Amino acid sequence: MTTEDGRTATFDELARTYGADLFRYAVWLCGNDALAKDLVQETYLRAWKALGSLKDPKAAKSWLITILRREYARTFERKVPHFTDVDTVIVPDDAELEPDDRAELRLLRDGIRRLAPKYRDPLLLQVVMGCSCQEIADELGISKSAVMTQLFRAREQLKQKLQKDGVTGNVHGLF
Amino acid sequence: MSMDFSEFKRRLGAEPRSRDPDLVAARDASPENRALAEEAERFETRLEDAVSVAVPGDLVDTIRAIPKRAGPRRTLWPVALAASFLVAVGAAGVAWQMNRGWDSVEDYVADHYRHDGDRLVAESLQARRGDVHALLAEYGLDATPEMADVVSLVKRCPTPGGTGVHMVLHTESGPLTVIYMPDTAVTDHATMAFDDKAVVLVQLERGSAAIIGQARSPVETYYAIVHDGIVALAGRS
Repeated sequence: MTTEDGRTATFDELARTYGADLFRYAVWLCGNDALAKDLVQETYLRAWKALGSLKDPKAAKSWLITILRREYARTFERKVPHFTDVDTVIVPDDAELEPDDRAELRLLRDGIRRLAPKYRDPLLLQVVMGCSCQEIADELGISKSAVMTQLFRAREQLKQKLQKDGVTGNVHGLF
Repeated sequence: MSMDFSEFKRRLGAEPRSRDPDLVAARDASPENRALAEEAERFETRLEDAVSVAVPGDLVDTIRAIPKRAGPRRTLWPVALAASFLVAVGAAGVAWQMNRGWDSVEDYVADHYRHDGDRLVAESLQARRGDVHALLAEYGLDATPEMADVVSLVKRCPTPGGTGVHMVLHTESGPLTVIYMPDTAVTDHATMAFDDKAVVLVQLERGSAAIIGQARSPVETYYAIVHDGIVALAGRS
């Protein structure tokens, strides 16, 4: 296998392993699936060009997240895209759900969208990208303790929103 | 040392799926803790469902095709490109009514095109992509057959007012890029240039468009195609 073949194989692996999660994360960043797809493609284009700088395969996820977040900031540094009604831009895989469950998910999505960035960012990195508290702390440049506090508060705010809107359902015990 | 209920609740709220031995042990420390852990598990499942997004079926294949599109590595190109970034904006007075992000429409057009303009032109050479009628319909517009015939790629894109439509047209003189900006007013027929690109702006009945081509391409001759080619959908004023 040539060096170029190895590089392509590594890139393929990164595409298969992280492409879908990065797209989901990008949708939540942009609020728009078309822009998210572009953002992910731009991220991988930059990753391809800089693949030689990825020395530790275990760091690939964090490396890609960093590229994506930088690319997002660069693209939208002067104009944050308007995040419209979450259900019109996020295409959920919830066709099989009961109406009550669908309503609860809508409220949760709306709640996530309305969270302050300092709560939403770590929550999405954890729930969408599967990052540990330490990985989130490294990505956001804050302490692990601060990340844990923000994650706890993010979930508390979401639970309070469900309670306020009369949806207690499966989570009544938490209130 | 065992964790008290308050600390257990805080840890569970921060990382409910953690397999940390202290947290796992605390789950079974009391019926109250067990109940809280079960409820947290249910909430987490709902949260994961809530953030779930359908992923385009062609996403991974599109990503895997990037190395072919990117071509061989050319380590010096960024330097050459940076040197060529002497923007020559010879724009006429542009009415900029949506000054909420970029400083001017010229600034937006140049910035937007540099972001992915050349890449999308290259992609458009490989296969037709997108439905121009469907995307323009979202803005109450349609493309005439003359316009639709030459559109090879169409996609949503960021614009000063939110989102718009990015199109690549394949014309006799080569590819042209058209960016439709639904909430932006421009001075009709104004021209500008950046890098090696020439631009003509088109004020439409609804929104506006920028036509971008190579500096020596006759972009202005395509003014009529775009001006007459993007029309209001029947029954929509």
